[in-house]
Amino acid sequence: MTTADSHNGRRLTARGAKTRARIVAAATDLMYVQGVGATTLDEVLAASGVSKSQLYHHFDGKDALVRAVIDHVGERVIEREREALGRVSTIRGLRRWRDALVQNNAVRHGAYGCALGSLASEVSDQDALARQALSQLFTEWQGLLAAVLRRLQDGGALPPEASIDQLATGLMAALQGGYMLAQTARDVTPMATSIDMALAYIESLSER
Amino acid sequence: MRTHFAEVLARESACLAGVTDGAKLAGWRRRVVEELMTPLSPYVLAMRQAGDVPDRADFLDRWRDLIAETVDRLLQSGTTGDTHFSSDQSHRADVDAQKTAVLILAALHGGSTLSQISQDPWPLNAALDLALAPFAATEDNCPIGSMNP
Repeated sequence: MTTADSHNGRRLTARGAKTRARIVAAATDLMYVQGVGATTLDEVLAASGVSKSQLYHHFDGKDALVRAVIDHVGERVIEREREALGRVSTIRGLRRWRDALVQNNAVRHGAYGCALGSLASEVSDQDALARQALSQLFTEWQGLLAAVLRRLQDGGALPPEASIDQLATGLMAALQGGYMLAQTARDVTPMATSIDMALAYIESLSER
Repeated sequence: MRTHFAEVLARESACLAGVTDGAKLAGWRRRVVEELMTPLSPYVLAMRQAGDVPDRADFLDRWRDLIAETVDRLLQSGTTGDTHFSSDQSHRADVDAQKTAVLILAALHGGSTLSQISQDPWPLNAALDLALAPFAATEDNCPIGSMNP
């Protein structure tokens, strides 16, 4: 099996792809737990067990590695969210989506936050390419939420004049901000409150 | 980091104390959006998930309390001035100042992150439109539920 290497466009051998994946997986874990800024390439080398020359064969440097981590995390999050939101068409379904996110985050007392949101809050002013990649991923995620809200609207649970994109963006901000508050408080409660308040507002629109 | 926290709290304490109606709340909101869209402003630096966690937790608790006091004051004075909520009195009574403050702080936090990566104030404004809906302090006073400005 071969796959395109984003660094030099060459085809990778199965072994090369495996090495690259190992580096990205190790970097993803380290950056999730201790942050992008605090993660050094030496730590990634140690955690992945690859040599320095292998790492530089796949990545020009830290920026390139961070972009690969963004792609990797983004793919995982979008897949999870597509699975969770793809068929939701009721407020009750949205609440189940909320329950799963809050419960998953509560396991770690909210300490690490949203894998994608944490990357967004750290790299936004450092690397334009990373920022654009994150922006696209969040647009895609919000698109999944907007599709749910549109199905609610089609089912009559939201008034026809409700601005779906605005509500989807507001809900995403409540979710991401909630993750960040929970991360700082080491307590998942503010995240739950924030999403609940946003969902309660969306639900209240149908009663008007 | 401590200095950014102190500076934001000092400014917020002064500005929020003067918020006594929907129009002044909208003015507060416009100023905070401007601060959060200014690279390396004390607000942007204070919002970063970096530095000492207990210091940041204390900063966010204090800011949330300032916002909650303001929300409570607006609710006490009956300043909702909002077309949605006036149609259903029970909604207004349901507004919980502490929980509303959590949502507003989350909207500032999450909204500014989305705005920074898209380099566009629109997401932050959409987030605040939702969070401040009970007070109709939306941009251009346009209710979020309506597409027409």
